[in-house]
Amino acid sequence: MSATVTAPGGRPVSSRTAERVSVRPVTFVRVLRSEWIKFWTLRSTWWTLGATVVLMVGLALLFAMAISAIPADDTAAQEGMAAGGVVGPTIVTLGSEFAQLVVAVLGALVVTGEFSTGMIRSTFAAIPGRISALWAKLVVLLAVTAVVSAVGVALAYVATAGMLDDLGLPVDFGDADQVRALVGAVLYLMAVAAFSLGVGALLRHTAASIGVLMAVFFVLPIVFQIIVAASGADWAVDVNAYLPSVAGEQIMSGGPTQEGRLEPWTGFSVLAGYTAALLAAAAVSLKTRDA
Amino acid sequence: MIEAAGLTKRYGEKTAVDGVTFTVHPGKVTGFLGPNGAGKSTTMRMIVGLDRPTAGTVTVNGRPYAKHRRPLAEVGALLDAKAVHTGRTAYNHLLAMAATAGISRHRVDEVIELTGLQAVARKRVGGFSLGMGQRLGIAAALLGDPRTLILDEPVNGLDPEGVVWVRNLAKYLASEGRTVFLSSHLMSEVALTADHVIVIGRGRIIADAPVQDVVDGASRRLVRVRSPQATDLAELLTRDGATVTSGGPGLLEITGPDAASVGELAAASRIVLHELTPVASTLEEAYMALTADSVEYQSEDLATADQAAAERAAEQELVAEGDHR
Repeated sequence: MSATVTAPGGRPVSSRTAERVSVRPVTFVRVLRSEWIKFWTLRSTWWTLGATVVLMVGLALLFAMAISAIPADDTAAQEGMAAGGVVGPTIVTLGSEFAQLVVAVLGALVVTGEFSTGMIRSTFAAIPGRISALWAKLVVLLAVTAVVSAVGVALAYVATAGMLDDLGLPVDFGDADQVRALVGAVLYLMAVAAFSLGVGALLRHTAASIGVLMAVFFVLPIVFQIIVAASGADWAVDVNAYLPSVAGEQIMSGGPTQEGRLEPWTGFSVLAGYTAALLAAAAVSLKTRDA
Repeated sequence: MIEAAGLTKRYGEKTAVDGVTFTVHPGKVTGFLGPNGAGKSTTMRMIVGLDRPTAGTVTVNGRPYAKHRRPLAEVGALLDAKAVHTGRTAYNHLLAMAATAGISRHRVDEVIELTGLQAVARKRVGGFSLGMGQRLGIAAALLGDPRTLILDEPVNGLDPEGVVWVRNLAKYLASEGRTVFLSSHLMSEVALTADHVIVIGRGRIIADAPVQDVVDGASRRLVRVRSPQATDLAELLTRDGATVTSGGPGLLEITGPDAASVGELAAASRIVLHELTPVASTLEEAYMALTADSVEYQSEDLATADQAAAERAAEQELVAEGDHR
């Protein structure tokens, strides 16, 4: 056989003059850099993030327009809104109800996309500790979700501010509860992203994960709303209050806490608790199960 | 250097790898040969810590893979050409892999050039052919300039030029003192590339020896004889302990004595011979003989068997062609 080996392109495998390839130890910062590259080099990232902003702004705008269309002399409707605790931030953050579904898909895809394509084997071969890959994904996901949902809330505010003033529902930045509700939309979406990453890492399957997440964040709250309305049973009220989405969304409530709901920070802590438990289970699962 | 001791992997009731012990030494190409489902891939996945052994241990360069601080400098593994996200471009895939070890962009460009991926590096991997996927897997394996290379079926799907290139690359890397461990289900491939071969069947090591020894050890010496007095000759040979089968009227196939002994015996008994041919067993036959009892998925269908034979023949032709280059 020939002594020199050339690539199909004609270049030698390694020239005698080339210095050795510098390979450094795997550190968390390097894993983070790798996950950052991976995150931004997929198209799904761009369309999910784009959809998040569009939904947040679009729905706030639609809701504001719908309320503007209610005649001022329709006192029943006006009283209903007041009773429901509708304030400026309620309208500004309404889009997060829908954006959360897209954020959930993004959170799950970050890890299930690797399992479904086999990429996870490359990842774990390069990062044999495995767990740091999960934490790096979490950091990237939280950082990006924070920025994108903050942008979404800000744009939603800008788009609806004029209409809210006309409605007499301006966002009051001097009101701690209203500010908490606006910031809460960002925190809530971050929690949903982390929760979904945990589900994805546990189930390792895109369709199964998205199915579970849609059930948790979309179907279950509706089902329980119906059960509570129909039966008024105490157990149903309690379970409903502790559903991940129902509990977590309390962080976005702008007015006094409604009956059968948790206080804003209590509710958010419940969602955060579920998320932490899921991520811990995901870490154990990644470490112990074959890739 | 790869050292496995009592390495075992069970999936429920099924034992994929059954207490294998072997050492893969640096400085030569070691072939890992076995039929499909014999446990090659599972063993390789256990070496790089992707699958956890049910029992036993395996170390790379002296310690378990997961204990290495710079894994990409220790082992470059091509385990599966599909271990890449289909939505990412080849370049970005390599860039992300390199980032975990602080490997430079320059090196990424280098391995792209090395594997001939320049034209498709900016395209998404989902559209890659099997051959391009293999090249990308090899590029990723070479990123950290590793001391040990583990290549699972590296020539799968490559064009003839690519097959020869992988073969030369494996030999070149071994000549630099690296450990090269390469699996295949094709004996011909291993014979052309490897110096040493470990044969696995049904999760057990069947042979672990220099390639030549395996071929010699497993070959059955066969002598073909054509004679008008075939019946008399068969009787004589059987009395001497040879195994004789009839291959047609006047045609004998003799296992045991070599051609010279058969000829001498015939001459001593004044038996006329029309043909006396020692039939050399090929590598393929040696391999088939070794693994005959340990093929997991016996092909029942003749068409499938014929196809497999045709594929092997094509492979050998291709190999011969490559060598003439």
